Amino acid sequence: MDSYSPSEGNTGAQPEYAARELRDRTAESRAVQRGPIDLPFLLLTLLILTIGVIMVLSASFARAYYKENDATKYFVRQLFFAVAGVALMLVASRFNSSFYRRMAMPLLMVSLFLLALVPFFGTGKSQVGANRWFDLGITQFQPSEIAKVAIVLAFAHMICIYKNQMGTFKYGVVPFALILIVTVALLMLEPHISASVIVIALGAIMMFAGGTRWQYFAVGIVVVGLVGYLVVTKMAYASSRITAWLDPWSDPLDSGLQTIQSLYAIGSGGLLGVGLGQSRQKYMYLPEEHNDFIFPIACEELGFVGAMLILVLFALLIIRGYWLAIHSRDRFGALVIVGITSKLAIQVFLNVAVVTNLVPCTGISLPFFSYGGTALLVQLVEMGIVLAISREIPLRKRKNEENGEK
Amino acid sequence: MILRRTLVLAVVCGIVAFSVLAVQLYNIMIRDHDFYEEKAIRQQTRTVAVAASRGTIYDTNGRTLAKSATAYTVFISPYEIQLYSTKEYKPKEIHYGDDPELIASGLERILGADHDKLLEQMKDTKSWYKTVATKIEADLADEVRAFIDEYNLAGVHIEEDSKRYYPNGDLACHVIGFVGTENYGLEGIEALYDERLEGTNGSVVRLVAQNGTEMLFENYQNYNDAIDGNDLTLTLDCNIQAIAEKYLQQAMEANYIQNGGCVIVMNVKTGEILALANANSYDLNDPWALPEEVQEQLALIPDEEERSAARTAALMAQWRNMAVSDTYEPGSVFKIITMAIGLEEGVVKENDNFYCGGKIPVGGIPGRITDLNCWKHAGHGNQTLREAAMHSCNVAFANIGMKIGAEKYDEYVEAFGLMRSKTGVDLSGEAASQWWDKKYFEDPNNMSSLTSAAFGQTFNVTPIGMITAVSAAVNGGYLMEPYIVKEVRNEDGEVVYSKEPTVVRQVISEETSALVADILESVVGDKGGTGSNAYVPGYRVGGKTGTTTKTTIEVAENRKEYMVSFCGVAPCDDPEIAVLLVLDNPSSESGIYIGGGQMAAPYVGMIMSEVLPYLGVQPIYTAEEEALLDVTVPRLTNLDLLSARLKAQEMGITLREVGEGDEITAQLPSPGAQIAAGSQMIIYLGQSAPQEEVTVPDLTGMTVNQARNVLQNLGLFLDTAGASPAISGVKVASQIIDSGQTVPYGAVIQVTLVDSSNLGRY
Repeated sequence: MDSYSPSEGNTGAQPEYAARELRDRTAESRAVQRGPIDLPFLLLTLLILTIGVIMVLSASFARAYYKENDATKYFVRQLFFAVAGVALMLVASRFNSSFYRRMAMPLLMVSLFLLALVPFFGTGKSQVGANRWFDLGITQFQPSEIAKVAIVLAFAHMICIYKNQMGTFKYGVVPFALILIVTVALLMLEPHISASVIVIALGAIMMFAGGTRWQYFAVGIVVVGLVGYLVVTKMAYASSRITAWLDPWSDPLDSGLQTIQSLYAIGSGGLLGVGLGQSRQKYMYLPEEHNDFIFPIACEELGFVGAMLILVLFALLIIRGYWLAIHSRDRFGALVIVGITSKLAIQVFLNVAVVTNLVPCTGISLPFFSYGGTALLVQLVEMGIVLAISREIPLRKRKNEENGEK
Repeated sequence: MILRRTLVLAVVCGIVAFSVLAVQLYNIMIRDHDFYEEKAIRQQTRTVAVAASRGTIYDTNGRTLAKSATAYTVFISPYEIQLYSTKEYKPKEIHYGDDPELIASGLERILGADHDKLLEQMKDTKSWYKTVATKIEADLADEVRAFIDEYNLAGVHIEEDSKRYYPNGDLACHVIGFVGTENYGLEGIEALYDERLEGTNGSVVRLVAQNGTEMLFENYQNYNDAIDGNDLTLTLDCNIQAIAEKYLQQAMEANYIQNGGCVIVMNVKTGEILALANANSYDLNDPWALPEEVQEQLALIPDEEERSAARTAALMAQWRNMAVSDTYEPGSVFKIITMAIGLEEGVVKENDNFYCGGKIPVGGIPGRITDLNCWKHAGHGNQTLREAAMHSCNVAFANIGMKIGAEKYDEYVEAFGLMRSKTGVDLSGEAASQWWDKKYFEDPNNMSSLTSAAFGQTFNVTPIGMITAVSAAVNGGYLMEPYIVKEVRNEDGEVVYSKEPTVVRQVISEETSALVADILESVVGDKGGTGSNAYVPGYRVGGKTGTTTKTTIEVAENRKEYMVSFCGVAPCDDPEIAVLLVLDNPSSESGIYIGGGQMAAPYVGMIMSEVLPYLGVQPIYTAEEEALLDVTVPRLTNLDLLSARLKAQEMGITLREVGEGDEITAQLPSPGAQIAAGSQMIIYLGQSAPQEEVTVPDLTGMTVNQARNVLQNLGLFLDTAGASPAISGVKVASQIIDSGQTVPYGAVIQVTLVDSSNLGRY
């Protein structure tokens, strides 16, 4: 039952919803009364970010010392982007949701345009030789990061437009599928499997939340599965990843290296870990230890207890995100928060799944932890968007809700 | 719909997904923790062995015989040299100066390593370890270290190692033995006690980064302390060993010994070996070096394989410890044993009469009776047991053997530890004696075995076995287990093993033993005794000569090769030490009559004359002996003429005064020198001694008086050793400085006196 749509059969007298519907319709035309940003979400974000930056210092200093002769090189840069990111997050939290809704479609167009340019003008630094970055001098910038946010905003916007036709194939599937196909096609030109996986998953979650019917997902899963199978079998590097996933020890010095070294690091942690800063696997045994494989270092140093604490913090942040979505003032805001929160969840899940060899190895960074300037900025701006929308939840209602929960 | 589906997402993404991850993490981090940690640590650690310090070997006085000291190994890492000398790998700020040419020439300059070979080694860039030099001393290692620092080299390394030092060179080389390059004992005590000496190596486990360098902050270190090896204290006494080696060498040279020779000094009461030496000595610090003449002979062998085999054989011969590893026919020395058995069994008495007509028929059954000849074909006539021993009469001892009977004889020889067992001495490579099968020996048909055994022929024993049996015969009858290691201490100085004198069994009674010692004293000290050349004035030395022709060589090659020996014991009223000298194959070219009495006895006497005073045995001289003692030259140059004359008179030295005046400006010989009694000293008044050279005359064959006078006329002095000048008929048998050589005016010429009045192969 869709509580947002009395027209879809909700005849119960619920003045609150009626008022919200009214606000929905007028949201774009007038300023809403805004409360404070959601403090738990903000604090959880800052707490995770702080732990993440500390872990970058711990994980990176060995490589930075040996290879760059500057033990704090990565840390200082990450700290700079973290501070800048928090500032941008706070700036982003000042905007209305209507601003983001206006930005949705243009941002999608821009990100698709940039994705189209990357294969030709981008630079590659990944081991498979893919071009995924724009070199902006002081930092490098990955258009796929923008594309993910753009998909969230655009889909939220589109769902709001088609809110009454989402059950149909024509409106509930086709436009979304087209955008996804174009985006994924562009990503595969690079090629960039992990971003494709996230974009598809993200799009699917948006459509699911927006009301696309179950049956279409079943068909979609079959289609994506087939395409995925083809990709995995036809692309040499993808298939080697599968082999390495099934048995990392079949090629311990090459394709299985990362996974094996990751498992060594995680397994070394035990219950309480070897202690913060004391990781041994970070001494160049584990590749990408400050990047995609920062979580194994956290496991090694902080142990099962520390790793679970980090995951619980993520889980709390994600659940708080969905809580905010449920309580957000309008449909667009709810969908945007669902998208951003889900994106966070997907990234955390896939990253940890990769490093624990639950899924085949692919380059997915851990939000707030992995070293990388633009990714962190984008991540924090996304949190800023969630916080911006959280401000529009009426204070009184939130209070009531919380009292009621107690 | 959004609310419901969002709730679904919240559950899936917020709870289910994290639960899956939690389970996976639990499996890896808790369930499989040990598996992964073990593998991780294996790749993260390097284990470096910490060498245990090998124990020190001391002589009985605590003097060091063998010790280990730190040495260094220099090695290069071609991998690192290649890595740090290529352009691609240059970390900022750190500049490594690795350059193959620079390293090769530097190491050639410091260590003398082969420049081209080094460059060749560096081509193997996968290797981390190529040895350049081993066991180098600290100063060279410091130079290499300075070289590394100067150019900041990443690929040249120094490792600690240890090196074995033998401060006394070749002294007691066959006893001590030596170690190989890996510091494992290869010979002697070093090999036999290797386990105790080597200790247990420790290890240091270090954490290293993947590029091989040490981790910045080590948080995992595992020290396994090395346990140093035990220290050994031997019964061996360096001073006695040096005395024994000195006289063994003199005996070898004077008698033209063509094969080997060995000497053992044993404490008869305890079985402690005080000295043990073989003539084929070598420098323990360089055991693989062969004497020059051997090398020259090897160089003549054209075939490389043959040369290599010959070289190995030469080394094995050089390292062979004849005193325990070889057997010989003991000859008349064995009469000590026969006599002891006869007296103990009561079949002979001290004063029994033995007639020797020069030969005796032996053999069990008619037709196989052969004559057994005494060494003195004319025969010894009527004699008592004591006299028969003094004469070393073969006929008398063959008779004693027959009186004892084969069965008893066999029993006793076994009880003396001379067959069917080894002495059990803790020296490597002890050989077993060769004795007849019991049944064969006891068969009356083989009576000749018994009769020849009775005077020590046609069977073989080891020198260590022989001296151990003689010790038992004179020490009260107790067969002792000979030993050389008396104490073992661990690295904290605690005694972990201590050998006490071990009585294997009592073979004869104390009374019999005392009588045997007494008779042996007669052999040396009484007029007509065949051991007179071992006589030491002031001491009660006893002993027995031995001379055999080697049966195997005589039978196979129809030529005679002799083995001469002498076994002495002293003091005979309460024996302390036994000395056995065995000389293999002397040459008649020496001019000395081939026989133990002429060739071996004088040197045993000389060893006794130094060892007994060293052991604190007080000499008791007869008046006659006292007058013939060597004189120690006093210092007269610091005295006025009158006092000098008085002092000389006191000491029984005559003075020859050269020059005028009251001031003694020089004297000959120098103070402290030993000169023969009756020598005349020269003092110079107001002038210095002549600086001329004098040619040494040939003194052999002269009496003491003749020799002293000849030397005195040349301005030289006589010092005698060997048989006592008191024995009538002693003559100079050899001299330390050969005739024809030149010495400074006033030098002391040492000669060995031998009593040659009673020649024979006894």
